[in-house]
Amino acid sequence: MSGCPYFQKKFLSASMPHLKEEENDDSQSGINKASKGGLIYGDYLQLDKIVTSQMLQSELKGNKIHDEHLFIVTHQAYELWFKQILWELDSVREIFTSGHVRDERNMLKVNTRIQRVVMIFRLLLDQFSVLETMTALDFYDFREYLAPASGFQSLQFRLLENKIGVPQNQRVPYNRRHYRDNFRDQENELLLHSEQEPTLLQLVEQWLERTPGLEEGGFNFWGKLEANIFEGLSTETANIEQKPASEMKEEMMAEVIKQRDIFVSLFDERRHDHLLSTGQRRLSYKALQGALMIYFYREEPRFQVPFQLLTSLMDIDTLMTKWRYNHVCMVHRMIGSKGGTGGSSGYQYLRSTVSDRYKVFVDLFNLATFLVPREWVPKLDPSEHSFLYTAECCDSSYCSSDDSD
Amino acid sequence: MSGCPFFERKHQLFTSKPSKAEEEDESQKGINKATKGGIIYGEYLQLDKVLDAQVLQSELKGNKIHDEHLFIITHQAYELWFKQILWELDSVRDLFIKNHVRDERNMLKVVSRIHRVTMIFKLLVEQFAVLETMTALDFFDFREYLSPASGFQSLQFRLLEGKIGVADHLRVPYNRRHYRDNFHEHESETLLSSEQEPSLLQLVEQWLERTPGLESDGFNFWGKLQASIEEGLKMEKQKLEKLEDSEVKQELLEDRSKQTEVFTALFDPKRHEHLLSKGERRLSYKALQGALMINFYREEPRFQVPFQLLTALMEIDTLMTKWRYNHVCMVHRMIGSKAGTGGSSGYHYLRSTVSDRYKVFVDLFNLASFLVPRAWVPKLNPNIHTFPYMAEYYDSSYNSCSGEDSD
Repeated sequence: MSGCPYFQKKFLSASMPHLKEEENDDSQSGINKASKGGLIYGDYLQLDKIVTSQMLQSELKGNKIHDEHLFIVTHQAYELWFKQILWELDSVREIFTSGHVRDERNMLKVNTRIQRVVMIFRLLLDQFSVLETMTALDFYDFREYLAPASGFQSLQFRLLENKIGVPQNQRVPYNRRHYRDNFRDQENELLLHSEQEPTLLQLVEQWLERTPGLEEGGFNFWGKLEANIFEGLSTETANIEQKPASEMKEEMMAEVIKQRDIFVSLFDERRHDHLLSTGQRRLSYKALQGALMIYFYREEPRFQVPFQLLTSLMDIDTLMTKWRYNHVCMVHRMIGSKGGTGGSSGYQYLRSTVSDRYKVFVDLFNLATFLVPREWVPKLDPSEHSFLYTAECCDSSYCSSDDSD
Repeated sequence: MSGCPFFERKHQLFTSKPSKAEEEDESQKGINKATKGGIIYGEYLQLDKVLDAQVLQSELKGNKIHDEHLFIITHQAYELWFKQILWELDSVRDLFIKNHVRDERNMLKVVSRIHRVTMIFKLLVEQFAVLETMTALDFFDFREYLSPASGFQSLQFRLLEGKIGVADHLRVPYNRRHYRDNFHEHESETLLSSEQEPSLLQLVEQWLERTPGLESDGFNFWGKLQASIEEGLKMEKQKLEKLEDSEVKQELLEDRSKQTEVFTALFDPKRHEHLLSKGERRLSYKALQGALMINFYREEPRFQVPFQLLTALMEIDTLMTKWRYNHVCMVHRMIGSKAGTGGSSGYHYLRSTVSDRYKVFVDLFNLASFLVPRAWVPKLNPNIHTFPYMAEYYDSSYNSCSGEDSD
């Protein structure tokens, strides 16, 4: 059956409302179950709660401003989607923390759910254009009634950041206070827990450290790679040196030296640990190796889905930073450089969060610095290296339908 | 100040921690009001209600299926946005009903709000991509627990359709029952009363009928247009007949004949009434004239914003039909040709609603059939015709801040 809704309907405006017999019957067939009792749509979705929770502060205070409704609904929609992101995120973290991820049949689920989080973030980004139909003038009319409520108090947003892996010590403080100070009692505790429980970053790090092929007594990817790269660089250097003197030769030489420096730093574990301590790198040295391994061998059956996962993790970072930037731009348009309702310097504070400090999987992005020509990548031999196409399915608790999640 | 967040930060990767002192200070300024009492974000948004409304039927029935949560959230988000659309729609209808729209200072508000509705619909169309991350297999795992709940029971969706102007008698019935039968007393009553209030279509129709320039003892747009078109077609025919006989000449003559037929039909009020009765046209003859007037003279100051309004109204129709089609495609993927949870034939029913029967402002789209060369459009003389640049302000209740009563 063609997907086209006009198939067999010819030029509709000339023939409506007379539907062709066949389709008329098809669209009529079925019984109307909805009026026979049983679960109703509105009850299922608890719409009595959802659709009655829009209370305009401007109205409460006797000066109802039309656009406040949009402001409320937009934020509520964001929070609903934050809840969904947390649902997916927690289920994925659980698959790692419970060890189930070692059964590679669970990888599809992991990947699909992280990819879903990416799709939700895309939507949240698109959502700004709806709120942008509100002008600064209209916002000004009701903003006073909102103080001091502020997005700083969004529990779910902080939970989300923490569970993905935004580190406390990298956060831009505002007013030199801890971000958790915005929350009391239970909410504060929840946040504290989310800081202490394994984050997606940490779980992915441990998973990367286990990447097959890293074992020194086995394939020894890192050792082989180092050898190949420096051999490759030597050959290149020799080739260049043989050329007659020229400006071009100088440039090529300089280029090769730069490359060498980059790779020397790559294989310098001490340097990596130093960068870890300053927060410029987030993954352990071994995890970094695992990530590079997956990149280089992404087409091997065993690494295909893991590679998709790494890509999706970077998408999350990219979308989150775009979200922050969209937010900054909108706030600037709405309030210029006045203080935010939470008391901070609003625009300036938000602008400072559009930064790599908040990029969780920054190391994956940086891997692009270390790409090499395909020939330098250590060769694989399928008869020897069966790990590339042999998955592990060891989890006795695995069952192909979702149990808990 | 440049809008670029990286201004003065250079290449972020290799600048370890803190930014320049200046920026740090700027971002530190301000007092933390949030901890001093007063309304809190979560209370303002009633998150205790909103975030506590997700109960998985599959879990209730002892077989928790992960993807059901996405299904619930997606629909709740749709309903939140439906509420917002109704908020905007009702406020616009109100401006028309109360005649505030006769004070042309209110036109900006009208157009902004209708445009906002189109932006929301765009988002709702994009939202499908999120639910599409659920596979048919995953849906199958929990679908049984939902029955017989169905989108047929979405009150807000029906209210939305009705208030925009979807015609009851043009709806595709399912199971030969009235769509209102899906709702119990209170909701059914709400639907009934909303059916009896003027829809956006009806209000826009009346507004179009009042378009300045239509008055037959005034500018007499319609009379002038008809004369101008007849003259234009006659000249064309004469020119063509002077050409040497050829296949091309035949084709051109035929085209011109067809054109003549199209315009003869346009100027035939009886034919319009006939099409109205069949549901192929929805606006009155006079309203159609008003719409064509606004189209042809859209650059006149008085008609600029009205023209934007007509464009936005067509955009609503386009987006709604895209929404319906996206929904059809997704349902097809999810359940193939099985019955929907509401008992209908699911895919087939939904497919039949992707049709011009549901296109409320269909007449505006069809105006494109009647475009003419600019030279045929009746000329305006700014000395005689002041109406294209003089607006009317006579609503005494107008005040420039939107604090005006309801909206």
